[in-house]
Amino acid sequence: MKTKKQSNVIWILIFLAPAIALFSLFFIYPIGMVVGTSLTDWRNSVGMNFIGLENYIKFFQNANFRTALGNNIIWALSLGIFQIGMATAMACILARRPKGWTVYRTVYFLPSVISGAALSMMWKAIYNAQHGVLNAFLNTIGLSDLAHNWLGEMETALPAVIISQIFYIGYFMVIILASRVGIDDNYYEAAMIDGANVWQQERFITLPLLKPILITTVTLALAYGLRHFEATYLMTTGGPNHATETMGTFLYTKLKASKWAEANAIGTIIIITGGLAISGIRSLLSRNMDVE
Amino acid sequence: MKTVLKPHQVVAKIFKWFYIVFFLVFMLAPLLWLILTSFKTNIEFDTANALALPKVWQFRNYANALSLSNLPRMFLNSLIVAALTTVLNVIVSAMASFVIAREKFRGSNLILNILLAGVLVPIIALMVPYLKINMKLGIMDTLWALIITYSAINIPTSIFLIHGFMQALPKALEEAAIIDGCSFPQRFTRIILPLSTPGIVTAATLVFIYCWNEFTYAMILTISESCRTIQLGIRYFQTQFVVDNTGMMAAIVITMLPTIIVYIFLHNKIISGMTAGAVKG
Repeated sequence: MKTKKQSNVIWILIFLAPAIALFSLFFIYPIGMVVGTSLTDWRNSVGMNFIGLENYIKFFQNANFRTALGNNIIWALSLGIFQIGMATAMACILARRPKGWTVYRTVYFLPSVISGAALSMMWKAIYNAQHGVLNAFLNTIGLSDLAHNWLGEMETALPAVIISQIFYIGYFMVIILASRVGIDDNYYEAAMIDGANVWQQERFITLPLLKPILITTVTLALAYGLRHFEATYLMTTGGPNHATETMGTFLYTKLKASKWAEANAIGTIIIITGGLAISGIRSLLSRNMDVE
Repeated sequence: MKTVLKPHQVVAKIFKWFYIVFFLVFMLAPLLWLILTSFKTNIEFDTANALALPKVWQFRNYANALSLSNLPRMFLNSLIVAALTTVLNVIVSAMASFVIAREKFRGSNLILNILLAGVLVPIIALMVPYLKINMKLGIMDTLWALIITYSAINIPTSIFLIHGFMQALPKALEEAAIIDGCSFPQRFTRIILPLSTPGIVTAATLVFIYCWNEFTYAMILTISESCRTIQLGIRYFQTQFVVDNTGMMAAIVITMLPTIIVYIFLHNKIISGMTAGAVKG
């Protein structure tokens, strides 16, 4: 029996080894490397010297980096407040099963399976000043004054990129909807008998009961906002004049310049801000929940 | 039961349908415009109203996209990467899930939690290490760089899905198998693996879609045209054919089609798989 146990241990190790090896090489080691080398002057193929927090100090003194960080916060709040808000409203509507609701759910989720690169290139074409359908539409309905070079102007570029993403509510909507349909119908029937209208039902029954899933989705949305890269890179590469820069595009610029340590300092900031957002929101909102 | 609606209920109803329709239009209208434009000629694209229908429906742009560019090669590269990554990732994840779910050993919960915490890591922050690791492995600028990297990135989500499924299987299955003289690997290949097929199919579908759609690391880890993937193809298009805007539209449509087709057939599985992690909190 003992030998059987021992052979089991060997098998367990053999079965775990590939996953743990890949995970260590692509998750644990990289995080250590990003954080560790961010304190050095590592660039190109030159050796590295410890320089403490110099890279970080340099970034926080850099106006373009502060814009990038600010833009990431705008992204995080746009997704965490507006996207989740719209997704919650849609989940409440679909939970009451209007005619065709399963079809709407499938359509709303569709952009989540299409490549971000393809969608970004599509939106770039939509926003195009000369050939884009948005300006064509505005001209057709007589609002040509509103036509813009959407991605080329400082004031409109960031809102344009955000708007191209923020209405893709499907992913979060499905998550919230799953919780919403789990709420017992009896609550709503009882409220209806007491004379509560639909709005009051959603406000006083649905929202409090959805709180746990709203915390989860807001946390995820904030985290996505802080690590945003792809759509901005493809639509504006951070321009015009750094107006849409995010930490991700900044990191990529440093990577292309072979400034490894500086790139990793930004990586560390992305990891830390993400971790803060996740743990901060969790503790803030769950403390709030214990009181109730 | 037909009841007469009060005015505020009518307003609520109008608002509700406006909201539903607005989002339907937002999801579909841009795609529709993209498809329409992909059938236009470049002269039409430059001169006619962007809202107008194509004067002649012609597939020239698609033929051009496929014959004048490297798109077919990139399409094939994407297929190879997605297929091999899916196989590698699912085998590795299923093996680990099996021992974590079915063999209670000290530390199994800790290992599971560490592996699952991987979903919280912002992969975008790891550009430098991923570049360096692939250079060290000597696979930089080959399809293997993408296959290995994607396989690793998807371990947390795949283990989440497969482990959840394996854990729910009744314990008696293996007890019977042990009595029948099944060895450790046989319990995996003959009993648990076949019974976990639904969970494995979900994980495999998601990994495949991830690989097909991935852009950032495909851009960083490949240089030569011969190992670039389809997502890079669209962009490359714009620089090589500066004037061929409608050709690029066709290329974008070609890029989107495979995942849309998979989605049409498997949408319920994909929706529940992609949201499972968050739904369980």
